[in-house]
Amino acid sequence: MADRVDVAIVGGGPAGQAAALTLADLGVAATVIDEQLRPGGQILRQPPKAFRVTNWMDGGLYADLRGQLERFEALERVDWRGGRSVLGIARSGEEGFTVTLSSATGVETVEARRVLVAAGCQDLAVPLPGWTLPGVYAAGGIQAFLKSQRLIPGERLLFAGTHPLQMVIAAQVVEAGGRVEAVLFAQSQLSMVRAVAGAPFAAAAHLGNLLAAAGAMRTLRRHGVPVHYGVPIERILGERSVEAVEAGGRRWACDAVGLCFGFVPQSALPRMIGARMRPAGPAGGWAAMHDRWMRSTVTGLFVAGETTGVAGAPAAMAAGEVAGAAIALDMGLLDEAGAERLASVARSRREELLRFAALLDRIADPRPYFPSMDAETLVCRCEDVPLGRIEPLLDGRSANAIKLSTRCGMGACQGRNCEPTLLRLIGNPGEPGFAARFPARPVTIADLAAPPLRCD
Amino acid sequence: MRIERDTERGRPLTLTVDGHSLTAFDGETLAAAMLQNGATFRRDTRGLDRGLFCNMGSCSECMVTLLPSGRRARACVTPASDGMEVRTDG
Repeated sequence: MADRVDVAIVGGGPAGQAAALTLADLGVAATVIDEQLRPGGQILRQPPKAFRVTNWMDGGLYADLRGQLERFEALERVDWRGGRSVLGIARSGEEGFTVTLSSATGVETVEARRVLVAAGCQDLAVPLPGWTLPGVYAAGGIQAFLKSQRLIPGERLLFAGTHPLQMVIAAQVVEAGGRVEAVLFAQSQLSMVRAVAGAPFAAAAHLGNLLAAAGAMRTLRRHGVPVHYGVPIERILGERSVEAVEAGGRRWACDAVGLCFGFVPQSALPRMIGARMRPAGPAGGWAAMHDRWMRSTVTGLFVAGETTGVAGAPAAMAAGEVAGAAIALDMGLLDEAGAERLASVARSRREELLRFAALLDRIADPRPYFPSMDAETLVCRCEDVPLGRIEPLLDGRSANAIKLSTRCGMGACQGRNCEPTLLRLIGNPGEPGFAARFPARPVTIADLAAPPLRCD
Repeated sequence: MRIERDTERGRPLTLTVDGHSLTAFDGETLAAAMLQNGATFRRDTRGLDRGLFCNMGSCSECMVTLLPSGRRARACVTPASDGMEVRTDG
Protein backbone atom coordinates (compact mmCIF):
# COMPACT_ATOMS: atom_id res chain seq x y z
CA MET A 1 0.00 0.00 0.00
CA ALA A 2 1.29 3.43 -0.89
CA ASP A 3 2.22 5.82 1.87
CA ARG A 4 -0.55 8.40 1.45
CA VAL A 5 -0.89 11.47 3.62
CA ASP A 6 -3.12 14.55 3.61
CA VAL A 7 -0.40 17.04 4.43
CA ALA A 8 3.38 16.79 4.10
CA ILE A 9 5.46 19.58 5.60
CA VAL A 10 9.08 19.89 4.49
CA GLY A 11 11.05 21.43 7.35
CA GLY A 12 10.70 21.07 11.12
CA GLY A 13 11.81 24.61 11.89
CA PRO A 14 9.68 27.48 13.21
CA ALA A 15 7.41 27.69 10.12
CA GLY A 16 6.83 23.95 9.76
CA GLN A 17 6.16 23.55 13.49
CA ALA A 18 3.67 26.43 13.51
CA ALA A 19 1.72 24.95 10.59
CA ALA A 20 1.73 21.47 12.14
CA LEU A 21 0.51 22.85 15.48
CA THR A 22 -2.30 24.79 13.80
CA LEU A 23 -3.37 21.66 11.90
CA ALA A 24 -3.11 19.44 14.98
CA ASP A 25 -5.58 21.73 16.76
CA LEU A 26 -8.01 20.99 13.95
CA GLY A 27 -7.50 17.23 14.13
CA VAL A 28 -4.93 16.76 11.34
CA ALA A 29 -1.66 14.89 11.93
CA ALA A 30 0.70 16.40 9.38
CA THR A 31 3.73 14.46 8.18
CA VAL A 32 6.75 16.61 9.00
CA ILE A 33 10.01 15.77 7.24
CA ASP A 34 13.41 17.14 8.25
CA GLU A 35 17.02 16.41 7.43
CA GLN A 36 17.96 16.63 11.11
CA LEU A 37 16.95 13.84 13.48
CA ARG A 38 15.29 16.28 15.88
CA PRO A 39 12.98 19.21 15.14
CA GLY A 40 14.06 22.82 15.61
CA GLY A 41 15.46 23.96 12.30
CA GLN A 42 18.80 25.71 12.10
CA ILE A 43 17.71 28.42 14.54
CA LEU A 44 17.06 25.85 17.29
CA ARG A 45 19.36 23.09 16.09
CA GLN A 46 19.03 20.73 19.01
CA PRO A 47 21.79 18.69 20.61
CA PRO A 48 21.52 14.98 19.85
CA LYS A 49 19.37 12.90 22.18
CA ALA A 50 22.48 11.16 23.56
CA PHE A 51 23.77 14.53 24.91
CA ARG A 52 22.58 16.24 28.06
CA VAL A 53 22.97 20.02 27.73
CA THR A 54 21.85 22.35 30.50
CA ASN A 55 20.95 26.03 29.93
CA TRP A 56 20.65 25.34 26.20
CA MET A 57 19.72 28.43 24.13
CA ASP A 58 18.37 30.17 27.21
CA GLY A 59 18.63 33.71 25.84
CA GLY A 60 15.40 35.75 25.91
CA LEU A 61 15.54 36.11 22.15
CA TYR A 62 14.80 32.40 21.77
CA ALA A 63 12.00 32.12 24.36
CA ASP A 64 9.02 32.15 21.96
CA LEU A 65 10.74 29.78 19.57
CA ARG A 66 11.62 27.39 22.36
CA GLY A 67 8.04 27.53 23.65
CA GLN A 68 6.75 26.53 20.25
CA LEU A 69 9.35 23.76 19.91
CA GLU A 70 8.27 22.31 23.26
CA ARG A 71 4.63 22.33 22.15
CA PHE A 72 5.59 20.68 18.89
CA GLU A 73 7.65 17.96 20.57
CA ALA A 74 4.78 17.24 22.95
CA LEU A 75 2.32 16.80 20.04
CA GLU A 76 0.81 13.37 19.60
CA ARG A 77 -1.05 14.37 16.47
CA VAL A 78 1.95 14.63 14.17
CA ASP A 79 3.87 12.16 11.99
CA TRP A 80 7.50 13.20 12.57
CA ARG A 81 10.05 11.92 10.07
CA GLY A 82 13.48 13.20 10.99
CA GLY A 83 16.78 12.21 9.44
CA ARG A 84 15.33 12.35 5.92
CA SER A 85 16.30 14.56 3.00
CA VAL A 86 13.72 15.56 0.42
CA LEU A 87 15.12 14.85 -3.02
CA GLY A 88 12.20 16.19 -4.98
CA ILE A 89 8.52 16.98 -5.23
CA ALA A 90 6.63 16.02 -8.39
CA ARG A 91 3.03 16.24 -9.48
CA SER A 92 1.14 13.00 -9.00
CA GLY A 93 -2.29 12.73 -10.60
CA GLU A 94 -4.56 15.76 -10.81
CA GLU A 95 -3.94 17.35 -7.45
CA GLY A 96 -1.44 15.47 -5.33
CA PHE A 97 2.32 15.23 -5.11
CA THR A 98 4.94 12.53 -4.86
CA VAL A 99 7.57 13.54 -2.32
CA THR A 100 10.78 11.54 -2.67
CA LEU A 101 12.92 11.19 0.46
CA SER A 102 16.25 9.63 1.23
CA SER A 103 17.54 8.42 4.56
CA ALA A 104 20.42 6.33 5.84
CA THR A 105 18.62 3.21 4.67
CA GLY A 106 17.42 4.17 1.21
CA VAL A 107 14.80 6.06 -0.75
CA GLU A 108 11.13 6.40 0.25
CA THR A 109 8.20 8.09 -1.41
CA VAL A 110 5.22 9.75 0.18
CA GLU A 111 2.04 10.61 -1.74
CA ALA A 112 0.71 13.85 -0.30
CA ARG A 113 -2.48 15.73 -1.18
CA ARG A 114 -0.94 19.00 -0.03
CA VAL A 115 2.65 20.00 0.58
CA LEU A 116 4.08 22.89 2.57
CA VAL A 117 7.71 23.72 1.85
CA ALA A 118 9.28 25.51 4.80
CA ALA A 119 12.86 24.53 4.10
CA GLY A 120 14.70 27.44 5.70
CA CYS A 121 17.76 29.21 4.39
CA GLN A 122 21.50 28.77 4.06
CA ASP A 123 24.54 31.02 4.23
CA LEU A 124 25.36 32.86 1.04
CA ALA A 125 28.57 31.26 -0.25
CA VAL A 126 31.08 34.00 -1.10
CA PRO A 127 34.16 33.00 -3.05
CA LEU A 128 37.50 34.67 -2.41
CA PRO A 129 41.10 33.53 -2.78
CA GLY A 130 41.77 30.75 -0.27
CA TRP A 131 38.14 30.02 0.55
CA THR A 132 38.43 26.29 -0.14
CA LEU A 133 41.11 25.77 2.53
CA PRO A 134 40.04 23.48 5.38
CA GLY A 135 39.05 25.76 8.27
CA VAL A 136 36.93 28.15 6.21
CA TYR A 137 33.29 27.84 7.22
CA ALA A 138 29.97 29.40 6.47
CA ALA A 139 29.36 31.31 9.72
CA GLY A 140 26.01 29.55 10.17
CA GLY A 141 27.87 26.23 10.14
CA ILE A 142 30.01 27.35 13.09
CA GLN A 143 26.86 28.37 14.95
CA ALA A 144 25.27 24.99 14.23
CA PHE A 145 28.30 23.30 15.82
CA LEU A 146 27.92 25.44 18.94
CA LYS A 147 24.20 24.84 19.32
CA SER A 148 24.01 21.18 18.52
CA GLN A 149 27.35 19.38 18.62
CA ARG A 150 28.75 21.66 21.36
CA LEU A 151 31.97 22.13 19.46
CA ILE A 152 34.13 25.08 18.43
CA PRO A 153 35.84 24.25 15.14
CA GLY A 154 39.16 25.99 15.78
CA GLU A 155 41.46 27.50 18.41
CA ARG A 156 41.54 31.04 17.02
CA LEU A 157 38.49 32.02 15.01
CA LEU A 158 37.94 35.07 12.85
CA PHE A 159 34.64 36.26 11.43
CA ALA A 160 34.39 38.40 8.32
CA GLY A 161 31.57 39.72 6.16
CA THR A 162 28.74 42.23 6.23
CA HIS A 163 25.98 40.59 8.27
CA PRO A 164 25.50 41.61 11.94
CA LEU A 165 24.75 37.98 12.87
CA GLN A 166 28.51 37.41 12.88
CA MET A 167 28.71 39.42 16.12
CA VAL A 168 26.10 37.20 17.74
CA ILE A 169 27.95 34.03 16.66
CA ALA A 170 31.34 35.41 17.78
CA ALA A 171 29.84 36.24 21.19
CA GLN A 172 28.43 32.71 21.46
CA VAL A 173 31.92 31.34 20.71
CA VAL A 174 33.64 33.33 23.45
CA GLU A 175 30.84 32.62 25.93
CA ALA A 176 31.37 28.91 25.28
CA GLY A 177 35.06 29.31 26.10
CA GLY A 178 36.47 29.76 22.61
CA ARG A 179 38.76 32.43 21.27
CA VAL A 180 37.88 34.94 18.54
CA GLU A 181 40.71 36.99 17.04
CA ALA A 182 38.45 39.59 15.44
CA VAL A 183 35.11 40.32 13.85
CA LEU A 184 35.59 42.24 10.60
CA PHE A 185 32.81 44.16 8.91
CA ALA A 186 33.54 45.16 5.32
CA GLN A 187 31.27 48.18 5.58
CA SER A 188 31.88 51.29 7.66
CA GLN A 189 29.93 51.92 10.83
CA LEU A 190 28.63 55.11 9.25
CA SER A 191 27.03 53.22 6.37
CA MET A 192 25.27 50.96 8.90
CA VAL A 193 23.99 53.97 10.84
CA ARG A 194 22.77 55.53 7.61
CA ALA A 195 20.85 52.37 6.73
CA VAL A 196 19.06 52.50 10.09
CA ALA A 197 18.45 56.25 9.92
CA GLY A 198 16.81 55.92 6.51
CA ALA A 199 14.40 53.24 7.70
CA PRO A 200 10.70 53.76 8.23
CA PHE A 201 9.87 54.44 11.87
CA ALA A 202 7.88 51.21 12.25
CA ALA A 203 10.92 49.14 11.35
CA ALA A 204 13.36 51.12 13.44
CA ALA A 205 11.01 50.76 16.40
CA HIS A 206 11.18 46.97 16.18
CA LEU A 207 14.82 46.33 16.85
CA GLY A 208 14.85 43.33 19.18
CA ASN A 209 17.41 41.52 17.06
CA LEU A 210 19.63 44.58 16.81
CA LEU A 211 19.48 44.95 20.57
CA ALA A 212 20.59 41.34 20.83
CA ALA A 213 23.51 42.28 18.61
CA ALA A 214 24.23 45.14 21.03
CA GLY A 215 24.33 42.54 23.83
CA ALA A 216 26.76 40.55 21.71
CA MET A 217 28.85 43.72 21.33
CA ARG A 218 29.13 44.01 25.11
CA THR A 219 30.11 40.35 25.40
CA LEU A 220 32.82 40.78 22.77
CA ARG A 221 34.16 43.90 24.48
CA ARG A 222 34.26 42.10 27.84
CA HIS A 223 36.32 39.31 26.27
CA GLY A 224 38.59 41.76 24.48
CA VAL A 225 37.50 40.71 20.98
CA PRO A 226 38.10 43.55 18.52
CA VAL A 227 35.26 44.45 16.14
CA HIS A 228 36.40 46.44 13.12
CA TYR A 229 34.37 48.26 10.49
CA GLY A 230 35.49 49.15 6.99
CA VAL A 231 37.88 46.16 6.96
CA PRO A 232 36.96 43.98 3.97
CA ILE A 233 38.37 40.45 3.83
CA GLU A 234 40.62 40.06 0.78
CA ARG A 235 42.11 36.57 0.92
CA ILE A 236 42.58 33.57 3.17
CA LEU A 237 46.11 32.19 3.53
CA GLY A 238 47.45 28.80 4.54
CA GLU A 239 49.53 25.87 3.37
CA ARG A 240 47.18 22.95 4.10
CA SER A 241 44.60 24.73 6.22
CA VAL A 242 43.79 28.27 7.38
CA GLU A 243 46.73 30.16 8.91
CA ALA A 244 45.75 33.80 8.40
CA VAL A 245 43.48 36.25 6.68
CA GLU A 246 44.39 39.34 4.72
CA ALA A 247 41.91 42.12 5.35
CA GLY A 248 42.09 45.88 5.19
CA GLY A 249 45.73 45.67 4.09
CA ARG A 250 47.00 43.70 7.06
CA ARG A 251 47.41 40.10 8.14
CA TRP A 252 45.28 38.52 10.87
CA ALA A 253 46.50 35.18 12.25
CA CYS A 254 43.74 32.61 12.86
CA ASP A 255 43.04 28.93 12.23
CA ALA A 256 39.36 29.12 11.31
CA VAL A 257 37.27 31.68 9.43
CA GLY A 258 33.50 32.21 9.49
CA LEU A 259 32.22 34.00 6.40
CA CYS A 260 29.04 35.97 7.07
CA PHE A 261 27.67 37.89 4.08
CA GLY A 262 23.99 37.02 4.52
CA PHE A 263 21.54 34.23 3.83
CA VAL A 264 19.64 32.87 0.86
CA PRO A 265 16.41 30.82 0.78
CA GLN A 266 16.41 27.04 0.46
CA SER A 267 13.95 27.02 -2.41
CA ALA A 268 15.10 24.27 -4.78
CA LEU A 269 11.93 22.23 -4.20
CA PRO A 270 9.29 24.80 -5.23
CA ARG A 271 11.60 25.92 -8.02
CA MET A 272 11.92 22.35 -9.30
CA ILE A 273 8.18 21.90 -9.60
CA GLY A 274 7.76 25.17 -11.47
CA ALA A 275 6.44 27.50 -8.78
CA ARG A 276 7.03 31.15 -9.62
CA MET A 277 10.11 32.62 -7.94
CA ARG A 278 11.50 36.09 -7.41
CA PRO A 279 15.04 37.33 -6.74
CA ALA A 280 15.26 37.00 -2.98
CA GLY A 281 17.10 40.11 -1.90
CA PRO A 282 20.48 41.76 -1.79
CA ALA A 283 22.28 38.53 -0.83
CA GLY A 284 20.91 36.77 -3.92
CA GLY A 285 19.06 33.49 -4.32
CA TRP A 286 15.43 32.82 -5.18
CA ALA A 287 12.34 33.20 -3.03
CA ALA A 288 9.10 31.33 -3.69
CA MET A 289 6.23 33.71 -4.44
CA HIS A 290 2.92 33.32 -2.63
CA ASP A 291 -0.47 34.92 -2.03
CA ARG A 292 -1.83 36.10 1.32
CA TRP A 293 -2.56 32.47 2.24
CA MET A 294 1.04 31.37 1.56
CA ARG A 295 -0.14 29.47 -1.52
CA SER A 296 2.55 29.17 -4.18
CA THR A 297 1.60 29.43 -7.86
CA VAL A 298 1.36 25.60 -7.96
CA THR A 299 -2.07 24.40 -6.76
CA GLY A 300 -1.76 22.48 -3.50
CA LEU A 301 1.81 23.62 -2.84
CA PHE A 302 2.18 26.02 0.09
CA VAL A 303 5.36 27.85 1.09
CA ALA A 304 6.41 29.55 4.33
CA GLY A 305 9.40 30.84 6.23
CA GLU A 306 12.78 31.59 4.69
CA THR A 307 11.88 29.65 1.53
CA THR A 308 9.79 32.73 0.68
CA GLY A 309 12.58 35.24 1.52
CA VAL A 310 14.91 35.44 4.50
CA ALA A 311 13.17 37.34 7.29
CA GLY A 312 14.14 35.54 10.49
CA ALA A 313 12.60 32.88 12.70
CA PRO A 314 9.77 34.93 14.30
CA ALA A 315 8.50 35.91 10.83
CA ALA A 316 8.77 32.26 9.73
CA MET A 317 6.70 31.20 12.73
CA ALA A 318 3.98 33.71 11.80
CA ALA A 319 4.01 32.56 8.17
CA GLY A 320 3.68 28.95 9.30
CA GLU A 321 0.55 29.83 11.28
CA VAL A 322 -0.96 31.46 8.19
CA ALA A 323 -0.03 28.44 6.05
CA GLY A 324 -1.57 26.06 8.60
CA ALA A 325 -4.85 28.01 8.51
CA ALA A 326 -4.72 28.10 4.71
CA ILE A 327 -4.24 24.32 4.46
CA ALA A 328 -7.15 23.82 6.86
CA LEU A 329 -9.26 26.10 4.66
CA ASP A 330 -8.22 24.11 1.60
CA MET A 331 -9.17 20.86 3.34
CA GLY A 332 -12.58 22.25 4.25
CA LEU A 333 -11.86 22.11 7.99
CA LEU A 334 -12.41 25.84 8.31
CA ASP A 335 -14.55 28.29 6.40
CA GLU A 336 -13.05 31.49 5.02
CA ALA A 337 -14.08 33.51 8.09
CA GLY A 338 -12.63 30.92 10.46
CA ALA A 339 -9.35 30.79 8.56
CA GLU A 340 -9.20 34.60 8.47
CA ARG A 341 -9.62 34.71 12.23
CA LEU A 342 -6.75 32.26 12.70
CA ALA A 343 -4.48 33.94 10.19
CA SER A 344 -5.07 37.63 10.75
CA VAL A 345 -3.00 38.17 13.91
CA ALA A 346 -0.08 36.16 12.51
CA ARG A 347 -0.33 38.06 9.25
CA SER A 348 0.03 41.49 10.82
CA ARG A 349 2.82 40.26 13.08
CA ARG A 350 4.62 38.95 10.00
CA GLU A 351 4.22 42.22 8.12
CA GLU A 352 5.83 44.13 10.94
CA LEU A 353 8.69 41.63 11.07
CA LEU A 354 9.19 41.88 7.31
CA ARG A 355 9.77 45.61 7.70
CA PHE A 356 12.49 44.84 10.21
CA ALA A 357 13.98 42.23 7.86
CA ALA A 358 14.10 44.83 5.09
CA LEU A 359 16.04 47.12 7.43
CA LEU A 360 18.48 44.33 8.27
CA ASP A 361 18.89 43.66 4.53
CA ARG A 362 19.92 47.29 4.04
CA ILE A 363 22.42 47.19 6.91
CA ALA A 364 23.93 43.87 5.78
CA ASP A 365 23.78 44.43 1.99
CA PRO A 366 26.87 42.54 0.75
CA ARG A 367 26.80 43.78 -2.84
CA PRO A 368 29.34 46.59 -2.62
CA TYR A 369 31.71 44.41 -0.61
CA PHE A 370 32.14 41.11 -2.44
CA PRO A 371 35.87 40.26 -2.37
CA SER A 372 37.82 40.16 -5.65
CA MET A 373 38.60 36.72 -6.98
CA ASP A 374 41.76 35.48 -8.73
CA ALA A 375 41.62 33.47 -11.95
CA GLU A 376 42.30 30.37 -9.79
CA THR A 377 39.58 31.08 -7.22
CA LEU A 378 36.98 28.29 -7.40
CA VAL A 379 33.51 29.62 -8.16
CA CYS A 380 32.03 26.11 -8.14
CA ARG A 381 33.43 24.13 -5.22
CA CYS A 382 31.83 20.82 -6.22
CA GLU A 383 33.28 20.64 -9.73
CA ASP A 384 36.42 22.72 -9.09
CA VAL A 385 35.59 25.38 -11.67
CA PRO A 386 37.79 28.49 -11.28
CA LEU A 387 36.88 32.02 -12.27
CA GLY A 388 39.45 31.84 -15.10
CA ARG A 389 37.38 29.18 -16.90
CA ILE A 390 34.16 31.16 -16.57
CA GLU A 391 35.37 34.66 -17.44
CA PRO A 392 35.93 34.02 -21.17
CA LEU A 393 32.30 32.82 -21.42
CA LEU A 394 30.78 35.99 -19.96
CA ASP A 395 29.68 37.20 -23.38
CA GLY A 396 25.92 37.17 -22.93
CA ARG A 397 25.68 33.41 -22.40
CA SER A 398 23.09 32.09 -19.96
CA ALA A 399 23.83 30.39 -16.63
CA ASN A 400 22.66 27.07 -18.10
CA ALA A 401 24.98 27.47 -21.10
CA ILE A 402 27.96 28.22 -18.85
CA LYS A 403 27.00 25.22 -16.70
CA LEU A 404 27.07 22.96 -19.77
CA SER A 405 30.43 24.29 -20.97
CA THR A 406 32.26 24.31 -17.64
CA ARG A 407 30.31 22.00 -15.25
CA CYS A 408 29.86 25.02 -12.93
CA GLY A 409 26.74 24.15 -10.93
CA MET A 410 26.66 20.50 -12.00
CA GLY A 411 27.98 19.04 -8.76
CA ALA A 412 26.53 17.50 -5.63
CA CYS A 413 25.19 20.81 -4.25
CA GLN A 414 23.12 21.29 -7.43
CA GLY A 415 24.50 24.77 -7.92
CA ARG A 416 23.10 26.29 -4.77
CA ASN A 417 26.53 27.55 -3.69
CA CYS A 418 27.81 28.89 -7.00
CA GLU A 419 24.61 30.16 -8.62
CA PRO A 420 24.51 33.56 -6.85
CA THR A 421 28.15 34.17 -7.79
CA LEU A 422 27.65 33.12 -11.41
CA LEU A 423 24.56 35.33 -11.75
CA ARG A 424 26.54 38.24 -10.33
CA LEU A 425 29.28 37.62 -12.90
CA ILE A 426 26.72 37.37 -15.74
CA GLY A 427 25.18 40.60 -14.50
CA ASN A 428 21.94 40.31 -16.48
CA PRO A 429 18.96 41.12 -14.25
CA GLY A 430 16.62 39.00 -16.43
CA GLU A 431 18.80 35.88 -16.15
CA PRO A 432 16.65 33.06 -14.69
CA GLY A 433 19.60 31.03 -13.35
CA PHE A 434 20.07 27.27 -13.47
CA ALA A 435 17.15 24.98 -14.23
CA ALA A 436 16.46 23.39 -10.82
CA ARG A 437 16.86 19.64 -11.10
CA PHE A 438 16.07 16.49 -9.15
CA PRO A 439 17.60 15.46 -6.74
CA ALA A 440 17.76 18.47 -4.43
CA ARG A 441 20.13 16.50 -2.18
CA PRO A 442 22.79 13.96 -3.21
CA VAL A 443 21.69 10.34 -3.50
CA THR A 444 23.33 7.23 -4.92
CA ILE A 445 22.06 5.77 -8.18
CA ALA A 446 21.73 2.38 -6.47
CA ASP A 447 19.31 3.83 -3.91
CA LEU A 448 17.26 5.52 -6.61
CA ALA A 449 17.13 2.37 -8.70
CA ALA A 450 16.06 0.17 -5.77
CA PRO A 451 12.32 -0.23 -5.18
CA PRO A 452 11.28 2.57 -2.81
CA LEU A 453 10.83 1.72 0.83
CA ARG A 454 7.33 2.33 2.09
CA CYS A 455 6.49 3.43 5.60
CA ASP A 456 3.04 1.95 6.04
CA MET B 1 37.52 21.94 20.61
CA ARG B 2 34.67 20.28 22.46
CA ILE B 3 32.66 22.56 24.76
CA GLU B 4 32.60 20.90 28.17
CA ARG B 5 30.50 23.44 30.07
CA ASP B 6 26.86 22.43 30.59
CA THR B 7 27.43 19.44 28.35
CA GLU B 8 27.33 15.72 28.98
CA ARG B 9 28.03 13.59 25.92
CA GLY B 10 26.97 10.05 25.10
CA ARG B 11 29.10 6.97 25.62
CA PRO B 12 32.47 6.75 23.80
CA LEU B 13 32.54 5.14 20.36
CA THR B 14 35.36 3.97 18.14
CA LEU B 15 35.29 4.38 14.39
CA THR B 16 37.80 4.18 11.56
CA VAL B 17 38.52 6.90 9.01
CA ASP B 18 40.93 6.01 6.20
CA GLY B 19 42.27 3.19 8.37
CA HIS B 20 42.92 5.41 11.41
CA SER B 21 41.00 4.63 14.54
CA LEU B 22 39.34 7.58 16.26
CA THR B 23 37.21 8.12 19.31
CA ALA B 24 33.90 9.95 19.30
CA PHE B 25 30.86 10.18 21.56
CA ASP B 26 27.38 8.89 20.94
CA GLY B 27 25.33 11.70 19.39
CA GLU B 28 28.23 13.27 17.53
CA THR B 29 28.04 13.61 13.78
CA LEU B 30 30.72 11.98 11.71
CA ALA B 31 31.89 15.49 10.75
CA ALA B 32 32.30 16.52 14.39
CA ALA B 33 34.19 13.33 15.18
CA MET B 34 36.52 13.83 12.21
CA LEU B 35 37.24 17.48 13.03
CA GLN B 36 37.94 16.69 16.68
CA ASN B 37 40.43 14.03 15.68
CA GLY B 38 42.22 16.13 13.09
CA ALA B 39 41.04 13.88 10.25
CA THR B 40 41.00 15.43 6.79
CA PHE B 41 38.01 15.38 4.46
CA ARG B 42 38.13 14.84 0.71
CA ARG B 43 40.79 15.99 -1.75
CA ASP B 44 39.82 17.97 -4.81
CA THR B 45 40.87 17.47 -8.45
CA ARG B 46 43.96 19.63 -7.78
CA GLY B 47 45.02 17.21 -5.03
CA LEU B 48 44.34 19.79 -2.32
CA ASP B 49 42.69 19.03 1.02
CA ARG B 50 39.18 20.35 1.40
CA GLY B 51 37.25 20.91 4.58
CA LEU B 52 33.74 20.89 5.84
CA PHE B 53 32.02 24.16 4.84
CA CYS B 54 28.30 24.64 5.55
CA ASN B 55 27.68 22.03 8.27
CA MET B 56 23.99 21.89 7.41
CA GLY B 57 23.74 19.33 4.65
CA SER B 58 23.64 21.89 1.90
CA CYS B 59 27.09 22.09 0.27
CA SER B 60 28.17 18.41 0.17
CA GLU B 61 31.83 19.33 0.77
CA CYS B 62 32.01 16.77 3.58
CA MET B 63 30.95 13.82 1.43
CA VAL B 64 32.57 10.53 2.50
CA THR B 65 32.14 6.85 1.65
CA LEU B 66 30.72 4.49 4.26
CA LEU B 67 32.07 0.94 4.23
CA PRO B 68 31.29 -1.81 3.51
CA SER B 69 28.16 -0.54 1.72
CA GLY B 70 30.01 2.02 -0.39
CA ARG B 71 27.16 4.44 0.30
CA ARG B 72 28.15 8.10 -0.10
CA ALA B 73 27.08 10.29 2.79
CA ARG B 74 27.44 13.86 3.99
CA ALA B 75 29.46 13.60 7.21
CA CYS B 76 27.67 16.62 8.73
CA VAL B 77 24.26 14.92 8.70
CA THR B 78 25.48 11.39 9.47
CA PRO B 79 25.63 10.28 13.11
CA ALA B 80 28.87 8.58 14.16
CA SER B 81 28.37 4.99 15.28
CA ASP B 82 30.48 2.35 16.97
CA GLY B 83 32.58 0.32 14.53
CA MET B 84 31.77 2.62 11.62
CA GLU B 85 34.26 2.50 8.76
CA VAL B 86 34.75 5.55 6.58
CA ARG B 87 36.85 6.44 3.55
CA THR B 88 37.37 10.03 2.43
CA ASP B 89 38.78 9.56 -1.06
CA GLY B 90 35.42 8.73 -2.64
